[in-house]
Amino acid sequence: MFVLSLDAPPIANSVRAGQFVNLGWSPGPLLRRPFSVYRTDGDRIEVILKAVGAGTSQLLSMTARDTISCLGPLGHGFELSTGPRSVALVSGGLGVAPMPLAAREARAAGMSVTWVHGARSVDELCSEADGDEVIWATDDGSRGFAGTAVSAMPETDIVLACGPNRMLAAVAMRWPDAQVAVETYMGCGTGVCLGCAVPLERGGYDRACKEGPVYRAADVDWSVLPAQLPYAVGA
Amino acid sequence: MTVDMAVEVGGLTLRGPVLAASGTFGYGTEVPLLERRALGAMVSKGIFLRPRAGTPPPRIVETPSGMLNAIGLQGPGVEGLIRDYAPQWAQWDFPVLVNINGETAAEYGELAARLDGVPGVAGFEINISCPNVEQGGLYFGNDPRAAAAVTDAVRKRTDLPVWVKLTPMVTDIGVIARACEAAGADALSAINTFVGMSIDLNTRQPRLSFRTGGLSGPAIRPLAVHLAHQAARAVSIPVIGIGGIMGAEDALEFLVAGCAAVQVGTATFVNPNAIAEVHDGIAAYLASHGFASLAELPRYLPRD
Repeated sequence: MFVLSLDAPPIANSVRAGQFVNLGWSPGPLLRRPFSVYRTDGDRIEVILKAVGAGTSQLLSMTARDTISCLGPLGHGFELSTGPRSVALVSGGLGVAPMPLAAREARAAGMSVTWVHGARSVDELCSEADGDEVIWATDDGSRGFAGTAVSAMPETDIVLACGPNRMLAAVAMRWPDAQVAVETYMGCGTGVCLGCAVPLERGGYDRACKEGPVYRAADVDWSVLPAQLPYAVGA
Repeated sequence: MTVDMAVEVGGLTLRGPVLAASGTFGYGTEVPLLERRALGAMVSKGIFLRPRAGTPPPRIVETPSGMLNAIGLQGPGVEGLIRDYAPQWAQWDFPVLVNINGETAAEYGELAARLDGVPGVAGFEINISCPNVEQGGLYFGNDPRAAAAVTDAVRKRTDLPVWVKLTPMVTDIGVIARACEAAGADALSAINTFVGMSIDLNTRQPRLSFRTGGLSGPAIRPLAVHLAHQAARAVSIPVIGIGGIMGAEDALEFLVAGCAAVQVGTATFVNPNAIAEVHDGIAAYLASHGFASLAELPRYLPRD
């Protein structure tokens, strides 16, 4: 996993957990690619990525002070108002991306934070913990609980989740009220192209980039949302 | 040197030749950071009489220098458009044309009649070229009699400007262009997307749920310049060029090739200020080549 740090003061100072930025670079793909904002540090924001394809290699070959086009903060993030006393941050793989900001906002709202990190094996596990309780889960049992992050979860007042849509569908079965950040293909990121359609249980679609990417888990029609997205660069 | 960028297109006087293409600008209310000062006109997302849910995801996929989309004309229907969007358009300093769609020629006519006189609606772009609907759409666009019948149905129900958006999926775009002109179109928009397909080799299934989609972006630009040029040669009404315009030079190719104006689409997805940048770039080109107005730009348009 790699961390890209961008000097983006207006975004760093206004972004909420679960929101994303849409990055465009040259040479790069035609369309921008969405990334959850991972952390902020003063005037900087960070995003995370895995080296999976041509797009990520282009990003990873950048050097300090190179410039990149960054549109954001976009979308509707997690709701972390005061009231609930405990929160579980459940993530699969790169789904950890929105969780550090969520932990920060949850602590500010007076909640105790439990991280549940899931991955295929220990090599893909994220080490994010930030002084809170941490539960590890790996499919192969190479660290922590042997099984999925969802099956390893404790009981908490509220649940936030991000990861592959298949994992989020499992979250929805157990915690209908969980707030989940979905993965979709995205065109514009600004609400005009209608490419990032999220099928809703009540019928119809709305836009991951505008009404989402965070949804109440039971509101999404998981049978219609594609389970896997072969993106060159993930959100 | 200030360049006069105003242009007369199919019954409307526009402050500039760069327009927002249907389906790439929503209803104009989505993106507050868009610069509107340079917008010549906006063509709304395509609308049907009734609300439509659109196609299931995946709806878009990136392809080399382009993208395929199959949105399926998701929208609120004409009453939703009149209630939620037209009142805002009425306040704006540029005209908004409504991209209209139907399953029969009569439905197009009904839409025009319903929208005629609604404050904020300055004209119509008849969509006879959407590749992503089961009924209508492309069917009307590749038959000159059907294209003329739809144009006529709309023409009879409104005195507002009527433009027709043509499909590239034809053997001779000039035939369709002349049929629409004869049926009373004030201008032609050329072109809509090409029908394309992309296969996921992991699933061995099409990447789009609709199987096929419309190809847009720089990949289609030379094809689009040619087809817009062919349409412009075939008719005496203005042609608005569309297809893969990312920058001012791309737009200028269409203008020189005989188009009165252009529409920018996919570029807005990538750069929300693309329209303003294209407008400014055209003005800079005209100024640096000694033209005081867009009208002075020489066109390459030998007549058939």
